Amino acid sequence: MPQADQLHPFTVLALATAVLTITTAAGYWPLSLAVIVGCLVLATRHRCLGKLCALSALIIAPTFGSQLMVHALFTPGPSPVLAQLGPFELTGAGLWLATQLALRTAVLVVVGLLCALVIDRHRLIAAIDLSKAPPQLGYLVAATLSLLPQLSAKQHAIGQAQALRLGHVGRGPVGWFQRIRLRSVPLVLGSLQDAADRAPHLAARGFPAAGTHTRLREVPDSTIQRVLRRVALICAVAGPALILTLDRFSG
Amino acid sequence: MSSNLTIDDARAGGTLPRRLMAVAGTLLLVGTYITLVITQPTALAEGLGQGVALATFVAYLAAAILLLAAVLPEVPVATLTLIPVALALNVILGQFVGSVMVPLYLDSIGTVLIGFLAGRRAGAATGVLGTLIWSLFAPTVLPFAAGAALVGFLAGTAARFGALRRIYLAPVAGLLSGVIVGVISAPVAAFVYGGTSGVGTGALVATFRAMGESLFSAVTKQALISDPGDKAVVFLIAALLVYALPGRLTSSFDFVRRYRVLGRRSGN
Repeated sequence: MPQADQLHPFTVLALATAVLTITTAAGYWPLSLAVIVGCLVLATRHRCLGKLCALSALIIAPTFGSQLMVHALFTPGPSPVLAQLGPFELTGAGLWLATQLALRTAVLVVVGLLCALVIDRHRLIAAIDLSKAPPQLGYLVAATLSLLPQLSAKQHAIGQAQALRLGHVGRGPVGWFQRIRLRSVPLVLGSLQDAADRAPHLAARGFPAAGTHTRLREVPDSTIQRVLRRVALICAVAGPALILTLDRFSG
Repeated sequence: MSSNLTIDDARAGGTLPRRLMAVAGTLLLVGTYITLVITQPTALAEGLGQGVALATFVAYLAAAILLLAAVLPEVPVATLTLIPVALALNVILGQFVGSVMVPLYLDSIGTVLIGFLAGRRAGAATGVLGTLIWSLFAPTVLPFAAGAALVGFLAGTAARFGALRRIYLAPVAGLLSGVIVGVISAPVAAFVYGGTSGVGTGALVATFRAMGESLFSAVTKQALISDPGDKAVVFLIAALLVYALPGRLTSSFDFVRRYRVLGRRSGN
């Protein structure tokens, strides 16, 4: 089985899209569970299991909590009451509906995060640049991903400098607004000024360049992968259509 | 910003296909919304419910991508260099606000800032791109890309019609924008995720459900409570940040000069 770093980023994304659409259309909990377990196995192979579990839990836990409140307590119809607290009744049907919806979201989260963890960002940017997408897109993705840690560090440094300068800011809404102002104004001013200074230099270099241009970073691709991508995209569209049509005729 | 002197401008030509894409994206978004409002599907997790979830997800995402494809080639270089800063600000200021336990999202400050400075096209592009990049860390935000585009578009529209000329107009414009964004985004929360993704907002939806409302109605009412307040604060903060920028910087934007976005503050 090929490692993700041997695959073109678009192949990984196309396969993930097919898995997501088919699993969502099927709405069959054993399939959803199998997809999640499969993702965990792949994450173990890529040594990112802990990160995938932690990031997924951060998103899935509040979603499941919300589903429980919205559905488990208010699903009409005859169903055994599992627990009761005042006017609230936890019914079996409601709990099942909440679990199914959370499982549907969990598949999206786990598959999406696995893609983000196994795809090399530089290779993704190179692949976008080499594709027929507008040349601006690759620049924007690359610039944002490299700016995020820079601005985060800048914001931290500004916070420390302001704390040294002013000491205690205070509590409550006024203190909160003061903290926002003290951190965001220098951050936004500095960042916008830097961006405004960068624009003439980029324009002078002919950005955004049209047509093909040389890239030092190679993105591995092959005929098999190109075929695989097309098959995956056809499955992503035809699979759900077939499943939903069969579901409709079978009643 | 002067035009490129050395290489043919890639933005020239192809206006009609881009306009068609923008129209197709808008029609897809509005058509999906109207269909969902009229049909009000009740099944959520079985049979038709799966198809509705998938169709809503795909239609909203496709609409956002069509709008991005229509707008991106027209965005000037001066604005393109600003967009990554805005996207990073969305994430960093959103995280900072989240860390101080304030019950607001405030994760669209950068998008609104770009809408105010560079207009509605750039604002819409920033909204979609921000969601696409943020989906690398939180895939559940993907179908909300169309809502994010709408935030940027409405910020640009508000600035164009004078929302920044008086400080009190910015939160009013944010409030109105929040109503529209909340209404448009509600079907995604209701039919794709069967509610909301946060415990606080989930409690609000559960309260409306307890009053006998349908899921879609409950989610829409929750969005009408959460979104306008959030957008009013975001528009106000973004307006204050624009006022704090040096006039030399704000007046370098064609959009700010052409529509006298800052009125007398711009000093033009």
